[in-house]
Amino acid sequence: MNTRPLISVVDDDESVRESLPDLLKEFGFDAQAFSSAADFLSSDWVGRTNCLILDVAMPGMTGPDLQRELTLRRQEIPIVFITAHRDDNVRPRLIEQGAVECLFKPFTETDLLAALNTALRVG
Amino acid sequence: MMDFCAGPGHPDDMQDVGENTAELLERLKRAEEALQARELNFQTLVQRAEAQLAGEKHLLEMVASGCPLSDVLTELCKFVEDTAADCQCGVYLIDERGPKFRIGAAPGLPATFNDPCEGLPVTPEAGPCGVAAGTKTQVIVRDFESEPLWESCAIRPLALAHGFRSQWSTPIYARDGRVLATFGIFQRNPASPTQVQLDLIAQVTHIASIAIERALSEAALKRSEAFLAEAQHLSRIGSFAWNAVTDEITWSEQLYRIFEFDPQTTVTLELIGTRVHPEDTPLLKDMIERARNAVSDFQYEHRLLMPDKSVKYLNLIAHGMRNEDGEVEYIGAVQDISRRQSSEEALGKARSELAHVARVMSLGALTASIAHEVNQPLSGIITNASTCMRMLEADPPNIDGARETVRRTIRDGHRAADVITRLRALFSRKEALTERLDLNEATREVIALSLSELQGNRIILRAELTNDLPLVTGDRVQLQQVILNLLRNASDAMSSVDHRPRQLLIRTKQDGNGAVRLSVQDNGVGIQPESINKLFDAFYTTKSDGMGIGLSVSRSIIETHQGSLWATPNDGPGATFSFSIPHVADAAATPDKTAHANNERAARQG
Repeated sequence: MNTRPLISVVDDDESVRESLPDLLKEFGFDAQAFSSAADFLSSDWVGRTNCLILDVAMPGMTGPDLQRELTLRRQEIPIVFITAHRDDNVRPRLIEQGAVECLFKPFTETDLLAALNTALRVG
Repeated sequence: MMDFCAGPGHPDDMQDVGENTAELLERLKRAEEALQARELNFQTLVQRAEAQLAGEKHLLEMVASGCPLSDVLTELCKFVEDTAADCQCGVYLIDERGPKFRIGAAPGLPATFNDPCEGLPVTPEAGPCGVAAGTKTQVIVRDFESEPLWESCAIRPLALAHGFRSQWSTPIYARDGRVLATFGIFQRNPASPTQVQLDLIAQVTHIASIAIERALSEAALKRSEAFLAEAQHLSRIGSFAWNAVTDEITWSEQLYRIFEFDPQTTVTLELIGTRVHPEDTPLLKDMIERARNAVSDFQYEHRLLMPDKSVKYLNLIAHGMRNEDGEVEYIGAVQDISRRQSSEEALGKARSELAHVARVMSLGALTASIAHEVNQPLSGIITNASTCMRMLEADPPNIDGARETVRRTIRDGHRAADVITRLRALFSRKEALTERLDLNEATREVIALSLSELQGNRIILRAELTNDLPLVTGDRVQLQQVILNLLRNASDAMSSVDHRPRQLLIRTKQDGNGAVRLSVQDNGVGIQPESINKLFDAFYTTKSDGMGIGLSVSRSIIETHQGSLWATPNDGPGATFSFSIPHVADAAATPDKTAHANNERAARQG
C-alpha cells in the first residue's frame, strides 16, 4: 500500500508543470500535474490528493474558483497557492479564505517544503 | 386815399356838388369803417391763427427736446383750454394692463373729478372715452342730461356733479392704428363742436399721438438699455467699437467697470495698454497690428494687471468690417473670464496630476506585466536547479534526471530572455508603415489641436512650413505624436519664462540627402550640452512631474521611419529639437488623401 502523500499541481505554465513534480518526488511525495482546473476536477486524483499546489491566475477557472468548487464538493484539500504576481494584498486574502499558504514565484525549495509540511499536518 | 378836390368847378353847380360830396363822404366814411372792421376782424383771425400755430410749435418743440410726457400733455391741455374758451380737457392714456385709463394730464379739472377717472376700465361702461377707444371713432355727447344712451356710464354722474353737460372724446392713435389714449373735452353748456374746434382737436390729438409714441419708445429703449447693461454686468461682458484708422474707441459701461476706469475717461489704446499685463503686451501689439492690416474676425485671451496687482483674465471677440467711409472698424465683446480661468487652472492642474498618475499607473502595470512574464521562467529555473541538486546529491546520483532538469533550466533561461526581447519589440512598435503623407499637413493638424493649449500657456506660435515639401512614407499618427511631444516639451520648457515673450517656432524644410526636416525651436530654459544625449534615455527627465518617456519613444518612432531625432542648444535662450526622415523618391507625387480628394473634385466637375 502506497503511503506517500499525493500532491497535485495545477498550473497553466508548462515549466512549472514539468519542474515542480520532479522536485516534489525528490521530497518523497507522489506528484501529478494538471494544466487546468477542469482537468484536475475531471481526474480521479481529486478524492486522493493530500495537498493541492494551485496557480492563482489561469485562463478559464482560476485558482480561487477551483478552491470554491472544491468547497462546494466538500473536498477539503489543503491548498498552497503559487503566483507570479507579487501583490502583497493577495496573500492575506487567500489565507483568510482558507489557503494554507501563498508563495510568490520564484520560491525557494525551503519555503515550498515548509508550506507542504503545514498543509499535510492540517490535512 | 383818392383826392376828390380836383379843381375849381361852375358856381351854379356848387350846391349840388356840396350835397353830393357830403353824401359821398358819408358813404366813404362808412365804407372805411366797414373796411377797418373787416381789417380788425382779419387781424384778429391772423393773430389767433398765429397764436395757435405758435402753441402747436411750442408743443412740438417740447416733444422734440425730450420733455417729460406729462409736461407736454399738460401744456397741450392748457393750450386747448386757452384757445377754445369755456372748456376743460384731459388726456387719458390707455394702460394695456387692464386695459384701464390713466390720466396723462387734466390740469383744468379738479381732483374730485380726476381721482375717480383714474383706473376706469377701457369699456363703454366708462363713458364716451371708453366708447371712443373701443370703436376708434370720435364720440360727441352734446348733453348728458338729454341723451339716455349715457345714463348708466361711470362718467355721467361725475360730469354732472361738476357742472359739465357736454363731453367730446377723440381717440389718439399710434402710427400702427392702435388707440394709445383718448382726448376728452368737457363743457358746462350743451354743445357740439364747430369746424374750427374739430380742426383744433385733430391738430392736438396728432401732437399728443407723437408725444405719447415717442415717450413709449423711449421707455422701451431705456428698458432695453437697462436690460443690456444688466446682462453685461451679470455676464461680465463689455462691448466696444474701435475704428482702426482713427483709433476712436467706444466702450460700454461694463467695459469701464472691467478695466476699472472712470466712465468719463476717454479710452485710447495707450490707456488700455496701461492695464494690460506686461507679459501680454506683445500679444496685444501683435493683435492690434494684425487687426489694422486686415479686416477679419479675431479672438484673444489676455490678462490685465490691475493697480492692486490682481490679475484679470479676459476673452475678447471682435468682428471687423468697413464703415461707410471705407475705414476698418471692429465691434466686439470682452468677457471677464477670471472665475472661469481659475477653475480651468484648477481643472488643468487636476488633469495633469491625473495624467501623471495615469503614467505612473501604466508604468506600474507595465512593471507587473514584465515581472509576471519573467517570474514564470525564473520559477522553473529555480525549481529545476533545486531538483538537479537533489538528484546529484542522491546516492547513487540520478545523472539522467539531473541532465533533464538542466536541459529544462536552459530552456527556461531562454524563455526569460525571449520575454525581454518581446518587451523591446513592444516598445519599438515595428508596424507596417504604408501611408504617404504631407508632413506640413500632419503638422498643421497637430498645431490646430494644440493651439488652445499653447495659447493658454501664453505661447506665441509661429509656423514656417516650406511649400512643396516632398511627401514622406510613414505612420501619420506616430509622427504626429512625435510632433505633439516636441511641442509639449517646448511649451513645458517655457513655462517658467516670464520676462520675455514665450516664442515657439515650428519649421519644415527639405534637408538634402533625400530627407525632410521638422524642427521645433523654443526660447525656454534650454539644455545643458552634457545632458543632450541623456535626454533620449527612457525615464530621463529634468521635469519634476514627467516620466521622460516621451523623447525616447519619439526617437524610436523616428528611427523606425529611418530617420533621426536630435536636440541642439540655441545661440540665444532655449533649445531646438529636430527630426529628419527620408522623403519618397518621386517627390512630386501627391499624398494619397489629396489624390483621392482631387479625383472626387474631378468627378464632380465632370
